[in-house]
Amino acid sequence: MTDAGRLRVFVVDDHALVRSGIRAELGDAVDVVGEADEVGAAVELILERIPDVVLLDVHMPGGGGRAVLEQVLAQAPTVAFLALSMSDAAEDVIDVIRAGARGYVTKHISGPDLVDAIRRIAEGDAVFSPRLAGFVLDAFADPAQGPAPTPSFDPELDQLTPRERQVLRLIARGYAYKEIARELGISTKTVESHVSAVLRKLQLANRYQLTNWAAERRML
Amino acid sequence: MSIFLGGIGILAYVAIWVFVPVTGEEESIATRVVADRRELQIVLALSSALFAVLLVTRSLGVTDLGVPTLTLLVGAVGALVVWRGASTAETSRLRVRLNAAPGVAAGRSGWRRVAARAVIGLVLILVGVGELSRTGSFSGAALGVLIGTVLFVGGFLVLFAPWWVRTLRDLSTERRERVRAQERADMAAHVHDSVLQTLSLIQKAADDPREVVRLARREERELRHWLFDPERLGRHGQRPETLADAVAAIEREVEDSYGVGVELIVVGDCPMDDGVAALVGACREATVNAAKWSGCAQVAVFVEVERSAVSAYVRDLGSGFEPALVPDDRQGIACSMVERMERVGGNVAVHSSPGAGTEVELVLPRSTPTR
Repeated sequence: MTDAGRLRVFVVDDHALVRSGIRAELGDAVDVVGEADEVGAAVELILERIPDVVLLDVHMPGGGGRAVLEQVLAQAPTVAFLALSMSDAAEDVIDVIRAGARGYVTKHISGPDLVDAIRRIAEGDAVFSPRLAGFVLDAFADPAQGPAPTPSFDPELDQLTPRERQVLRLIARGYAYKEIARELGISTKTVESHVSAVLRKLQLANRYQLTNWAAERRML
Repeated sequence: MSIFLGGIGILAYVAIWVFVPVTGEEESIATRVVADRRELQIVLALSSALFAVLLVTRSLGVTDLGVPTLTLLVGAVGALVVWRGASTAETSRLRVRLNAAPGVAAGRSGWRRVAARAVIGLVLILVGVGELSRTGSFSGAALGVLIGTVLFVGGFLVLFAPWWVRTLRDLSTERRERVRAQERADMAAHVHDSVLQTLSLIQKAADDPREVVRLARREERELRHWLFDPERLGRHGQRPETLADAVAAIEREVEDSYGVGVELIVVGDCPMDDGVAALVGACREATVNAAKWSGCAQVAVFVEVERSAVSAYVRDLGSGFEPALVPDDRQGIACSMVERMERVGGNVAVHSSPGAGTEVELVLPRSTPTR
Protein backbone atom coordinates (compact mmCIF):
# COMPACT_ATOMS: atom_id res chain seq x y z
CA MET A 1 0.00 0.00 0.00
CA THR A 2 1.02 3.57 -0.58
CA ASP A 3 1.36 6.14 2.19
CA ALA A 4 -2.10 7.47 1.40
CA GLY A 5 -3.43 3.99 2.13
CA ARG A 6 -4.80 3.63 -1.35
CA LEU A 7 -4.29 0.30 -3.02
CA ARG A 8 -2.02 0.22 -6.03
CA VAL A 9 -3.71 -1.63 -8.86
CA PHE A 10 -2.41 -2.73 -12.23
CA VAL A 11 -4.76 -3.60 -15.11
CA VAL A 12 -3.90 -6.20 -17.74
CA ASP A 13 -6.33 -6.57 -20.62
CA ASP A 14 -5.79 -6.63 -24.35
CA HIS A 15 -8.83 -4.45 -25.03
CA ALA A 16 -8.31 -0.72 -24.52
CA LEU A 17 -12.06 -0.29 -24.14
CA VAL A 18 -12.19 -2.74 -21.26
CA ARG A 19 -9.19 -1.13 -19.57
CA SER A 20 -10.71 2.33 -19.67
CA GLY A 21 -14.01 0.86 -18.50
CA ILE A 22 -12.30 -0.70 -15.50
CA ARG A 23 -10.49 2.56 -14.74
CA ALA A 24 -13.80 4.40 -14.82
CA GLU A 25 -15.48 1.84 -12.56
CA LEU A 26 -12.67 2.02 -10.05
CA GLY A 27 -12.67 5.81 -9.99
CA ASP A 28 -10.71 7.28 -7.13
CA ALA A 29 -11.15 4.31 -4.84
CA VAL A 30 -7.80 2.84 -5.82
CA ASP A 31 -4.63 4.02 -7.45
CA VAL A 32 -4.26 2.54 -10.94
CA VAL A 33 -0.48 2.48 -11.34
CA GLY A 34 -0.36 1.11 -14.83
CA GLU A 35 -1.88 -1.02 -17.51
CA ALA A 36 -0.68 -3.36 -20.19
CA ASP A 37 -2.21 -5.02 -23.21
CA GLU A 38 0.09 -7.97 -23.75
CA VAL A 39 1.96 -10.60 -21.77
CA GLY A 40 5.52 -9.34 -22.19
CA ALA A 41 4.81 -5.71 -21.30
CA ALA A 42 2.58 -6.76 -18.42
CA VAL A 43 5.26 -8.92 -16.81
CA GLU A 44 7.92 -6.22 -17.20
CA LEU A 45 5.79 -3.37 -15.83
CA ILE A 46 4.32 -5.38 -12.95
CA LEU A 47 7.80 -6.45 -11.84
CA GLU A 48 8.96 -2.85 -12.10
CA ARG A 49 6.07 -1.29 -10.17
CA ILE A 50 5.08 -4.15 -7.83
CA PRO A 51 1.38 -3.24 -7.41
CA ASP A 52 -0.76 -4.60 -4.59
CA VAL A 53 -3.26 -6.20 -6.91
CA VAL A 54 -3.21 -7.06 -10.59
CA LEU A 55 -6.55 -7.24 -12.42
CA LEU A 56 -5.89 -9.87 -15.03
CA ASP A 57 -7.89 -10.71 -18.12
CA VAL A 58 -8.15 -14.48 -18.52
CA HIS A 59 -8.09 -14.40 -22.30
CA MET A 60 -4.97 -12.76 -23.64
CA PRO A 61 -3.01 -13.48 -26.77
CA GLY A 62 0.48 -14.85 -26.24
CA GLY A 63 -0.21 -17.46 -23.59
CA GLY A 64 -3.10 -15.74 -21.86
CA GLY A 65 -3.41 -14.66 -18.29
CA ARG A 66 -1.73 -17.82 -17.14
CA ALA A 67 1.60 -16.77 -18.67
CA VAL A 68 1.54 -13.42 -16.85
CA LEU A 69 0.73 -15.15 -13.56
CA GLU A 70 3.49 -17.69 -13.84
CA GLN A 71 6.18 -15.27 -14.92
CA VAL A 72 5.35 -12.64 -12.30
CA LEU A 73 4.82 -15.01 -9.39
CA ALA A 74 8.14 -16.71 -10.10
CA GLN A 75 9.92 -13.44 -9.31
CA ALA A 76 7.47 -11.51 -7.15
CA PRO A 77 5.34 -13.96 -5.15
CA THR A 78 3.73 -11.17 -3.10
CA VAL A 79 1.78 -9.69 -6.00
CA ALA A 80 -1.86 -10.71 -5.75
CA PHE A 81 -3.94 -11.45 -8.82
CA LEU A 82 -7.67 -11.11 -9.40
CA ALA A 83 -8.84 -12.75 -12.60
CA LEU A 84 -11.43 -10.85 -14.60
CA SER A 85 -13.22 -12.58 -17.38
CA MET A 86 -15.94 -12.09 -19.88
CA SER A 87 -16.34 -15.78 -20.47
CA ASP A 88 -17.09 -18.50 -18.03
CA ALA A 89 -15.48 -21.47 -19.67
CA ALA A 90 -14.83 -23.64 -16.66
CA GLU A 91 -11.39 -24.82 -17.71
CA ASP A 92 -10.12 -21.28 -18.30
CA VAL A 93 -11.24 -20.11 -14.90
CA ILE A 94 -9.91 -23.14 -13.06
CA ASP A 95 -6.69 -22.73 -15.02
CA VAL A 96 -5.90 -19.18 -13.83
CA ILE A 97 -6.86 -20.03 -10.27
CA ARG A 98 -4.51 -22.98 -10.33
CA ALA A 99 -1.78 -20.78 -11.77
CA GLY A 100 -2.06 -18.59 -8.68
CA ALA A 101 -4.88 -16.05 -9.04
CA ARG A 102 -6.57 -15.41 -5.69
CA GLY A 103 -9.99 -14.81 -7.12
CA TYR A 104 -12.22 -14.66 -10.11
CA VAL A 105 -14.99 -12.24 -11.00
CA THR A 106 -16.82 -11.53 -14.25
CA LYS A 107 -16.54 -8.18 -15.97
CA HIS A 108 -20.19 -7.51 -15.13
CA ILE A 109 -19.25 -6.81 -11.54
CA SER A 110 -20.27 -3.36 -10.31
CA GLY A 111 -17.67 -0.71 -9.44
CA PRO A 112 -18.12 -0.88 -5.65
CA ASP A 113 -18.10 -4.69 -5.71
CA LEU A 114 -14.91 -4.68 -7.74
CA VAL A 115 -13.22 -2.29 -5.30
CA ASP A 116 -14.38 -4.51 -2.47
CA ALA A 117 -12.96 -7.57 -4.22
CA ILE A 118 -9.64 -5.80 -4.80
CA ARG A 119 -9.45 -4.89 -1.14
CA ARG A 120 -10.13 -8.46 -0.11
CA ILE A 121 -7.50 -9.81 -2.47
CA ALA A 122 -4.94 -7.28 -1.20
CA GLU A 123 -5.62 -8.44 2.35
CA GLY A 124 -4.77 -11.97 1.34
CA ASP A 125 -8.29 -13.31 1.08
CA ALA A 126 -9.88 -15.10 -1.81
CA VAL A 127 -12.72 -13.77 -3.93
CA PHE A 128 -15.18 -16.14 -5.49
CA SER A 129 -17.94 -15.10 -7.84
CA PRO A 130 -21.14 -17.15 -7.69
CA ARG A 131 -20.14 -18.85 -10.89
CA LEU A 132 -16.72 -19.87 -9.64
CA ALA A 133 -18.40 -21.24 -6.51
CA GLY A 134 -20.67 -23.27 -8.80
CA PHE A 135 -17.71 -24.61 -10.74
CA VAL A 136 -15.92 -25.63 -7.59
CA LEU A 137 -18.98 -27.37 -6.16
CA ASP A 138 -19.30 -29.22 -9.42
CA ALA A 139 -15.61 -30.13 -9.62
CA PHE A 140 -15.42 -31.29 -6.03
CA ALA A 141 -18.64 -33.27 -6.18
CA ASP A 142 -19.20 -34.75 -2.74
CA PRO A 143 -18.11 -38.39 -2.92
CA ALA A 144 -21.04 -39.31 -0.69
CA GLN A 145 -23.38 -37.59 -3.14
CA GLY A 146 -21.64 -37.71 -6.46
CA PRO A 147 -21.92 -40.42 -9.06
CA ALA A 148 -18.43 -41.91 -9.18
CA PRO A 149 -15.82 -41.13 -6.57
CA THR A 150 -12.49 -40.51 -8.26
CA PRO A 151 -9.58 -42.32 -6.65
CA SER A 152 -7.75 -39.73 -4.67
CA PHE A 153 -4.15 -39.53 -3.47
CA ASP A 154 -4.78 -36.90 -0.87
CA PRO A 155 -8.34 -36.87 0.50
CA GLU A 156 -7.54 -33.80 2.60
CA LEU A 157 -6.96 -31.76 -0.53
CA ASP A 158 -9.33 -33.44 -2.91
CA GLN A 159 -12.46 -32.98 -0.86
CA LEU A 160 -14.32 -30.07 0.64
CA THR A 161 -15.53 -30.06 4.22
CA PRO A 162 -19.31 -29.81 4.75
CA ARG A 163 -18.81 -26.27 6.07
CA GLU A 164 -16.84 -25.21 3.00
CA ARG A 165 -19.56 -26.71 0.86
CA GLN A 166 -22.18 -24.70 2.74
CA VAL A 167 -20.22 -21.49 2.25
CA LEU A 168 -19.77 -22.15 -1.48
CA ARG A 169 -23.46 -22.92 -1.86
CA LEU A 170 -24.38 -19.60 -0.30
CA ILE A 171 -21.93 -17.77 -2.55
CA ALA A 172 -23.50 -19.51 -5.54
CA ARG A 173 -26.93 -18.42 -4.29
CA GLY A 174 -25.74 -14.82 -4.45
CA TYR A 175 -24.97 -14.17 -0.79
CA ALA A 176 -22.33 -11.64 0.21
CA TYR A 177 -19.75 -12.71 2.82
CA LYS A 178 -21.53 -10.68 5.49
CA GLU A 179 -24.84 -12.37 4.70
CA ILE A 180 -23.19 -15.78 4.73
CA ALA A 181 -21.75 -15.05 8.16
CA ARG A 182 -25.19 -14.09 9.44
CA GLU A 183 -26.85 -17.13 7.87
CA LEU A 184 -24.36 -19.59 9.34
CA GLY A 185 -23.87 -17.79 12.63
CA ILE A 186 -20.13 -17.33 12.16
CA SER A 187 -17.89 -14.29 11.73
CA THR A 188 -17.04 -12.76 8.38
CA LYS A 189 -13.39 -13.64 9.06
CA THR A 190 -14.35 -17.29 9.39
CA VAL A 191 -16.20 -17.14 6.08
CA GLU A 192 -13.08 -15.65 4.52
CA SER A 193 -10.87 -18.37 5.92
CA HIS A 194 -13.21 -21.04 4.55
CA VAL A 195 -13.03 -19.46 1.10
CA SER A 196 -9.24 -19.21 1.32
CA ALA A 197 -9.10 -22.88 2.27
CA VAL A 198 -11.17 -23.76 -0.78
CA LEU A 199 -8.87 -21.67 -2.95
CA ARG A 200 -5.86 -23.52 -1.60
CA LYS A 201 -7.50 -26.87 -2.32
CA LEU A 202 -8.35 -25.71 -5.78
CA GLN A 203 -4.73 -24.80 -6.39
CA LEU A 204 -3.20 -27.90 -4.87
CA ALA A 205 -5.72 -30.67 -5.46
CA ASN A 206 -5.02 -33.61 -7.71
CA ARG A 207 -4.45 -32.04 -11.09
CA TYR A 208 -5.71 -35.02 -13.00
CA GLN A 209 -9.09 -34.99 -11.35
CA LEU A 210 -9.72 -31.32 -12.07
CA THR A 211 -8.56 -31.46 -15.66
CA ASN A 212 -10.77 -34.45 -16.14
CA TRP A 213 -13.71 -32.64 -14.70
CA ALA A 214 -13.17 -29.60 -16.89
CA ALA A 215 -12.91 -31.79 -19.96
CA GLU A 216 -16.05 -33.74 -19.09
CA ARG A 217 -18.00 -30.58 -18.45
CA ARG A 218 -17.61 -29.59 -22.04
CA MET A 219 -19.26 -32.77 -23.16
CA LEU A 220 -22.23 -32.51 -20.85
CA MET B 1 6.35 -49.25 -68.56
CA SER B 2 7.11 -46.84 -65.74
CA ILE B 3 4.55 -44.40 -67.14
CA PHE B 4 1.99 -47.14 -66.90
CA LEU B 5 2.99 -47.77 -63.28
CA GLY B 6 2.94 -44.09 -62.55
CA GLY B 7 -0.58 -44.17 -63.90
CA ILE B 8 -1.56 -46.63 -61.20
CA GLY B 9 0.12 -44.46 -58.57
CA ILE B 10 -1.79 -41.44 -59.69
CA LEU B 11 -4.98 -43.46 -59.88
CA ALA B 12 -4.61 -44.65 -56.29
CA TYR B 13 -4.00 -41.12 -55.16
CA VAL B 14 -6.83 -39.78 -57.22
CA ALA B 15 -9.20 -42.44 -55.93
CA ILE B 16 -8.60 -41.32 -52.36
CA TRP B 17 -9.09 -37.74 -53.33
CA VAL B 18 -12.23 -38.41 -55.31
CA PHE B 19 -14.09 -40.65 -52.92
CA VAL B 20 -13.14 -39.34 -49.50
CA PRO B 21 -14.95 -36.17 -48.53
CA VAL B 22 -12.93 -33.48 -46.76
CA THR B 23 -13.57 -33.33 -43.01
CA GLY B 24 -16.15 -30.67 -42.41
CA GLU B 25 -17.47 -30.94 -45.96
CA GLU B 26 -20.38 -33.19 -46.72
CA GLU B 27 -19.58 -34.27 -50.24
CA SER B 28 -16.53 -35.71 -51.90
CA ILE B 29 -15.53 -34.85 -55.42
CA ALA B 30 -17.25 -38.03 -56.56
CA THR B 31 -20.61 -37.05 -55.09
CA ARG B 32 -20.22 -33.57 -56.48
CA VAL B 33 -19.60 -35.02 -59.93
CA VAL B 34 -22.56 -37.37 -59.68
CA ALA B 35 -24.75 -34.54 -58.49
CA ASP B 36 -23.88 -32.52 -61.60
CA ARG B 37 -25.48 -33.99 -64.71
CA ARG B 38 -22.94 -32.44 -67.06
CA GLU B 39 -20.05 -34.29 -65.49
CA LEU B 40 -21.92 -37.56 -65.85
CA GLN B 41 -22.47 -36.86 -69.51
CA ILE B 42 -18.77 -36.32 -69.98
CA VAL B 43 -18.01 -39.59 -68.26
CA LEU B 44 -20.52 -41.42 -70.48
CA ALA B 45 -19.24 -39.80 -73.65
CA LEU B 46 -15.62 -40.56 -72.85
CA SER B 47 -16.46 -44.12 -71.81
CA SER B 48 -18.15 -44.81 -75.10
CA ALA B 49 -15.19 -43.33 -76.95
CA LEU B 50 -12.91 -45.53 -74.89
CA PHE B 51 -15.03 -48.53 -75.68
CA ALA B 52 -14.81 -47.73 -79.40
CA VAL B 53 -11.03 -47.34 -79.29
CA LEU B 54 -10.65 -50.66 -77.49
CA LEU B 55 -12.96 -52.37 -79.97
CA VAL B 56 -10.92 -51.06 -82.90
CA THR B 57 -7.56 -52.06 -81.41
CA ARG B 58 -8.91 -55.48 -80.52
CA SER B 59 -10.26 -56.04 -84.03
CA LEU B 60 -6.92 -54.96 -85.51
CA GLY B 61 -5.32 -57.66 -83.39
CA VAL B 62 -3.19 -55.30 -81.30
CA THR B 63 -3.93 -57.23 -78.13
CA ASP B 64 -0.55 -56.51 -76.48
CA LEU B 65 -1.42 -52.89 -76.01
CA GLY B 66 -4.66 -53.75 -74.22
CA VAL B 67 -3.80 -53.31 -70.57
CA PRO B 68 -1.52 -50.25 -70.74
CA THR B 69 -3.83 -48.48 -73.14
CA LEU B 70 -6.85 -49.22 -70.99
CA THR B 71 -5.02 -47.95 -67.93
CA LEU B 72 -3.91 -44.78 -69.65
CA LEU B 73 -7.33 -44.04 -71.08
CA VAL B 74 -9.20 -44.75 -67.85
CA GLY B 75 -6.60 -42.65 -66.06
CA ALA B 76 -7.09 -39.80 -68.49
CA VAL B 77 -10.88 -39.88 -68.18
CA GLY B 78 -10.64 -40.08 -64.41
CA ALA B 79 -8.19 -37.20 -64.28
CA LEU B 80 -10.43 -35.06 -66.44
CA VAL B 81 -13.47 -35.78 -64.29
CA VAL B 82 -11.52 -35.03 -61.12
CA TRP B 83 -10.23 -31.83 -62.66
CA ARG B 84 -13.75 -30.69 -63.46
CA GLY B 85 -15.26 -31.80 -60.15
CA ALA B 86 -12.54 -30.29 -57.99
CA SER B 87 -12.93 -26.90 -56.40
CA THR B 88 -10.65 -24.06 -57.44
CA ALA B 89 -8.42 -24.58 -54.43
CA GLU B 90 -8.14 -28.29 -55.17
CA THR B 91 -7.27 -27.65 -58.81
CA SER B 92 -4.39 -25.37 -57.93
CA ARG B 93 -3.14 -27.84 -55.33
CA LEU B 94 -3.40 -30.67 -57.83
CA ARG B 95 -1.33 -28.69 -60.32
CA VAL B 96 1.43 -28.12 -57.75
CA ARG B 97 1.36 -31.79 -56.78
CA LEU B 98 1.66 -33.07 -60.33
CA ASN B 99 4.58 -30.75 -61.00
CA ALA B 100 6.35 -32.31 -58.05
CA ALA B 101 6.12 -35.84 -59.48
CA PRO B 102 9.49 -37.62 -59.75
CA GLY B 103 11.25 -36.77 -62.96
CA VAL B 104 9.09 -33.70 -63.55
CA ALA B 105 10.82 -31.57 -60.94
CA ALA B 106 13.55 -32.05 -58.37
CA GLY B 107 11.46 -31.07 -55.39
CA ARG B 108 13.06 -30.34 -52.06
CA SER B 109 15.43 -33.31 -51.99
CA GLY B 110 17.63 -32.09 -54.84
CA TRP B 111 18.58 -33.53 -58.22
CA ARG B 112 21.28 -35.87 -57.05
CA ARG B 113 19.04 -37.82 -54.74
CA VAL B 114 16.26 -37.95 -57.29
CA ALA B 115 18.67 -39.27 -59.91
CA ALA B 116 20.05 -41.92 -57.54
CA ARG B 117 16.56 -42.98 -56.61
CA ALA B 118 15.44 -43.08 -60.21
CA VAL B 119 18.44 -45.21 -61.27
CA ILE B 120 18.07 -47.69 -58.41
CA GLY B 121 14.30 -47.86 -58.85
CA LEU B 122 14.47 -48.36 -62.61
CA VAL B 123 17.22 -51.01 -62.34
CA LEU B 124 15.21 -52.93 -59.74
CA ILE B 125 12.04 -52.70 -61.81
CA LEU B 126 13.80 -53.79 -65.01
CA VAL B 127 15.55 -56.73 -63.32
CA GLY B 128 12.24 -57.65 -61.71
CA VAL B 129 10.44 -57.52 -65.03
CA GLY B 130 13.20 -59.60 -66.62
CA GLU B 131 12.92 -62.16 -63.84
CA LEU B 132 9.15 -62.24 -64.19
CA SER B 133 9.27 -62.68 -67.95
CA ARG B 134 11.83 -65.49 -67.72
CA THR B 135 9.59 -67.59 -65.51
CA GLY B 136 6.71 -69.74 -66.49
CA SER B 137 8.55 -72.31 -68.64
CA PHE B 138 10.65 -74.26 -66.14
CA SER B 139 10.32 -75.84 -62.71
CA GLY B 140 11.95 -73.08 -60.55
CA ALA B 141 9.07 -70.84 -61.47
CA ALA B 142 7.79 -70.15 -57.95
CA LEU B 143 11.15 -68.83 -56.68
CA GLY B 144 11.62 -66.71 -59.78
CA VAL B 145 8.19 -65.19 -59.44
CA LEU B 146 8.86 -64.44 -55.82
CA ILE B 147 12.24 -62.74 -56.45
CA GLY B 148 10.86 -60.93 -59.46
CA THR B 149 7.90 -59.62 -57.55
CA VAL B 150 10.02 -58.49 -54.62
CA LEU B 151 12.45 -56.67 -56.91
CA PHE B 152 9.63 -55.23 -58.91
CA VAL B 153 7.71 -53.91 -55.92
CA GLY B 154 10.93 -52.75 -54.24
CA GLY B 155 11.95 -50.73 -57.28
CA PHE B 156 8.49 -49.33 -57.47
CA LEU B 157 8.63 -48.21 -53.85
CA VAL B 158 12.11 -46.68 -54.16
CA LEU B 159 10.98 -44.69 -57.14
CA PHE B 160 7.60 -43.49 -55.94
CA ALA B 161 7.17 -43.94 -52.19
CA PRO B 162 8.66 -40.57 -51.13
CA TRP B 163 6.38 -38.79 -53.53
CA TRP B 164 3.33 -40.67 -52.26
CA VAL B 165 4.15 -40.02 -48.65
CA ARG B 166 4.78 -36.35 -49.26
CA THR B 167 1.64 -36.08 -51.33
CA LEU B 168 -0.53 -37.72 -48.71
CA ARG B 169 0.99 -35.58 -45.99
CA ASP B 170 0.52 -32.39 -47.96
CA LEU B 171 -2.96 -33.45 -48.83
CA SER B 172 -3.95 -33.86 -45.21
CA THR B 173 -2.29 -30.56 -44.25
CA GLU B 174 -4.11 -28.90 -47.05
CA ARG B 175 -7.41 -30.38 -45.89
CA ARG B 176 -6.79 -29.18 -42.36
CA GLU B 177 -6.14 -25.70 -43.70
CA ARG B 178 -9.27 -25.80 -45.76
CA VAL B 179 -11.33 -26.94 -42.76
CA ARG B 180 -9.83 -24.09 -40.78
CA ALA B 181 -10.73 -21.61 -43.50
CA GLN B 182 -14.24 -23.05 -43.49
CA GLU B 183 -14.47 -22.56 -39.74
CA ARG B 184 -13.34 -18.97 -40.08
CA ALA B 185 -16.02 -18.42 -42.67
CA ASP B 186 -18.65 -19.98 -40.40
CA MET B 187 -17.51 -17.80 -37.55
CA ALA B 188 -17.72 -14.68 -39.70
CA ALA B 189 -21.20 -15.66 -40.82
CA HIS B 190 -22.29 -16.26 -37.26
CA VAL B 191 -20.88 -12.97 -36.02
CA HIS B 192 -22.66 -11.20 -38.83
CA ASP B 193 -26.01 -12.87 -38.17
CA SER B 194 -25.89 -12.39 -34.44
CA VAL B 195 -23.55 -9.75 -33.03
CA LEU B 196 -23.64 -7.27 -35.87
CA GLN B 197 -27.41 -7.49 -36.16
CA THR B 198 -27.81 -6.94 -32.46
CA LEU B 199 -25.42 -4.00 -32.51
CA SER B 200 -27.49 -2.33 -35.20
CA LEU B 201 -30.67 -2.99 -33.19
CA ILE B 202 -28.99 -1.45 -30.17
CA GLN B 203 -28.10 1.67 -32.14
CA LYS B 204 -31.72 2.00 -33.21
CA ALA B 205 -32.94 1.53 -29.65
CA ALA B 206 -30.41 3.93 -28.14
CA ASP B 207 -33.17 6.00 -26.50
CA ASP B 208 -34.57 3.05 -24.58
CA PRO B 209 -32.05 1.84 -21.99
CA ARG B 210 -34.25 -1.10 -21.00
CA GLU B 211 -34.39 -2.36 -24.55
CA VAL B 212 -30.66 -1.86 -24.99
CA VAL B 213 -29.95 -3.92 -21.90
CA ARG B 214 -32.38 -6.60 -23.00
CA LEU B 215 -30.79 -6.86 -26.45
CA ALA B 216 -27.30 -6.91 -25.04
CA ARG B 217 -28.19 -9.63 -22.53
CA ARG B 218 -29.80 -11.82 -25.11
CA GLU B 219 -26.86 -11.49 -27.44
CA GLU B 220 -24.39 -12.18 -24.68
CA ARG B 221 -26.26 -15.29 -23.59
CA GLU B 222 -26.48 -16.65 -27.12
CA LEU B 223 -22.86 -15.89 -27.86
CA ARG B 224 -21.80 -17.56 -24.65
CA HIS B 225 -23.76 -20.69 -25.49
CA TRP B 226 -22.36 -20.70 -28.98
CA LEU B 227 -18.81 -20.44 -27.70
CA PHE B 228 -18.90 -22.75 -24.71
CA ASP B 229 -21.92 -24.96 -25.05
CA PRO B 230 -22.72 -25.53 -28.71
CA GLU B 231 -24.55 -28.79 -28.04
CA ARG B 232 -27.04 -27.03 -25.85
CA LEU B 233 -27.57 -24.35 -28.47
CA GLY B 234 -28.39 -27.13 -30.90
CA ARG B 235 -31.09 -28.34 -28.53
CA HIS B 236 -32.47 -24.82 -28.25
CA GLY B 237 -36.18 -24.81 -28.94
CA GLN B 238 -36.57 -28.51 -28.43
CA ARG B 239 -38.27 -30.00 -25.44
CA PRO B 240 -35.62 -29.93 -22.71
CA GLU B 241 -34.29 -33.35 -21.79
CA THR B 242 -32.39 -32.44 -18.68
CA LEU B 243 -32.77 -30.12 -15.74
CA ALA B 244 -29.91 -27.89 -16.88
CA ASP B 245 -31.56 -27.37 -20.28
CA ALA B 246 -34.89 -26.60 -18.68
CA VAL B 247 -33.55 -23.96 -16.30
CA ALA B 248 -31.45 -22.46 -19.10
CA ALA B 249 -34.78 -21.93 -20.87
CA ILE B 250 -36.07 -20.05 -17.80
CA GLU B 251 -33.01 -17.80 -17.92
CA ARG B 252 -33.70 -17.08 -21.57
CA GLU B 253 -37.40 -16.38 -21.15
CA VAL B 254 -37.11 -14.14 -18.13
CA GLU B 255 -34.23 -12.11 -19.53
CA ASP B 256 -36.08 -11.62 -22.78
CA SER B 257 -39.50 -10.86 -21.34
CA TYR B 258 -38.63 -8.73 -18.35
CA GLY B 259 -35.25 -7.21 -19.15
CA VAL B 260 -33.89 -8.49 -15.87
CA GLY B 261 -30.57 -10.30 -15.65
CA VAL B 262 -30.62 -13.88 -14.43
CA GLU B 263 -27.40 -15.17 -12.92
CA LEU B 264 -27.95 -18.89 -13.36
CA ILE B 265 -25.66 -21.41 -11.73
CA VAL B 266 -26.26 -25.10 -12.15
CA VAL B 267 -24.30 -27.75 -10.31
CA GLY B 268 -24.82 -31.27 -11.62
CA ASP B 269 -27.62 -32.33 -13.90
CA CYS B 270 -30.33 -34.97 -14.13
CA PRO B 271 -32.89 -36.12 -16.67
CA MET B 272 -36.37 -34.63 -16.61
CA ASP B 273 -39.16 -36.49 -14.85
CA ASP B 274 -42.46 -35.38 -13.31
CA GLY B 275 -40.84 -34.23 -10.09
CA VAL B 276 -38.08 -32.32 -11.83
CA ALA B 277 -40.61 -30.78 -14.20
CA ALA B 278 -42.62 -29.55 -11.22
CA LEU B 279 -39.49 -28.10 -9.66
CA VAL B 280 -38.61 -26.34 -12.92
CA GLY B 281 -42.15 -24.96 -13.16
CA ALA B 282 -42.01 -23.62 -9.61
CA CYS B 283 -38.54 -22.23 -10.27
CA ARG B 284 -39.84 -20.42 -13.34
CA GLU B 285 -42.70 -18.93 -11.31
CA ALA B 286 -40.31 -17.76 -8.59
CA THR B 287 -37.93 -16.23 -11.12
CA VAL B 288 -40.72 -14.45 -12.98
CA ASN B 289 -42.09 -13.11 -9.68
CA ALA B 290 -38.68 -11.80 -8.71
CA ALA B 291 -38.25 -10.18 -12.12
CA LYS B 292 -41.71 -8.61 -12.01
CA TRP B 293 -42.06 -7.45 -8.43
CA SER B 294 -38.67 -7.06 -6.77
CA GLY B 295 -37.60 -3.99 -8.73
CA CYS B 296 -34.16 -5.55 -8.87
CA ALA B 297 -32.07 -5.69 -12.06
CA GLN B 298 -30.57 -9.07 -11.20
CA VAL B 299 -32.01 -12.36 -10.00
CA ALA B 300 -29.74 -15.15 -8.79
CA VAL B 301 -30.86 -18.71 -9.54
CA PHE B 302 -28.89 -21.59 -8.11
CA VAL B 303 -29.81 -25.17 -8.94
CA GLU B 304 -28.03 -28.14 -7.45
CA VAL B 305 -28.49 -31.83 -8.10
CA GLU B 306 -27.41 -34.12 -5.32
CA ARG B 307 -27.98 -37.79 -4.86
CA SER B 308 -30.64 -37.26 -2.24
CA ALA B 309 -32.33 -34.13 -3.53
CA VAL B 310 -32.63 -31.52 -6.25
CA SER B 311 -32.79 -28.01 -4.91
CA ALA B 312 -33.32 -24.60 -6.47
CA TYR B 313 -32.85 -21.18 -4.90
CA VAL B 314 -34.19 -18.01 -6.47
CA ARG B 315 -32.95 -14.88 -4.83
CA ASP B 316 -33.27 -11.16 -5.40
CA LEU B 317 -32.14 -8.19 -3.36
CA GLY B 318 -35.24 -6.15 -4.17
CA SER B 319 -38.15 -4.75 -2.24
CA GLY B 320 -39.19 -7.96 -0.51
CA PHE B 321 -42.56 -8.48 1.19
CA GLU B 322 -44.18 -9.87 4.29
CA PRO B 323 -45.19 -13.43 3.37
CA ALA B 324 -47.91 -13.53 6.04
CA LEU B 325 -49.59 -10.46 4.57
CA VAL B 326 -50.07 -11.75 1.04
CA PRO B 327 -53.83 -11.75 0.36
CA ASP B 328 -55.48 -15.07 -0.42
CA ASP B 329 -56.61 -13.97 -3.85
CA ARG B 330 -53.00 -13.69 -4.98
CA GLN B 331 -52.70 -17.28 -6.01
CA GLY B 332 -49.25 -17.17 -7.65
CA ILE B 333 -47.23 -18.52 -4.78
CA ALA B 334 -49.92 -20.82 -3.45
CA CYS B 335 -50.86 -22.62 -6.64
CA SER B 336 -47.85 -22.52 -8.83
CA MET B 337 -45.23 -23.28 -6.30
CA VAL B 338 -46.47 -24.81 -3.07
CA GLU B 339 -49.14 -27.10 -4.49
CA ARG B 340 -47.04 -28.07 -7.46
CA MET B 341 -44.12 -29.02 -5.27
CA GLU B 342 -46.22 -30.79 -2.67
CA ARG B 343 -47.84 -32.92 -5.33
CA VAL B 344 -44.44 -34.44 -6.13
CA GLY B 345 -43.32 -34.66 -2.53
CA GLY B 346 -41.23 -31.48 -2.48
CA ASN B 347 -41.12 -28.40 -0.29
CA VAL B 348 -41.23 -24.66 -0.79
CA ALA B 349 -39.91 -22.10 1.66
CA VAL B 350 -40.12 -18.38 1.06
CA HIS B 351 -37.82 -16.12 3.02
CA SER B 352 -38.62 -12.48 2.62
CA SER B 353 -39.01 -9.31 4.55
CA PRO B 354 -39.78 -5.81 3.31
CA GLY B 355 -36.66 -4.09 2.02
CA ALA B 356 -34.38 -7.10 2.42
CA GLY B 357 -35.10 -9.03 -0.76
CA THR B 358 -36.64 -12.44 -1.24
CA GLU B 359 -35.35 -15.96 -1.49
CA VAL B 360 -37.47 -18.88 -2.59
CA GLU B 361 -36.15 -22.29 -1.70
CA LEU B 362 -37.43 -25.33 -3.61
CA VAL B 363 -36.37 -28.81 -2.55
CA LEU B 364 -37.31 -32.07 -4.24
CA PRO B 365 -36.15 -35.28 -2.56
CA ARG B 366 -35.16 -37.98 -5.01
CA SER B 367 -34.41 -41.68 -4.92
CA THR B 368 -32.62 -42.47 -8.18
CA PRO B 369 -28.92 -41.67 -7.98
CA THR B 370 -28.42 -40.46 -11.53
CA ARG B 371 -26.54 -37.44 -12.58
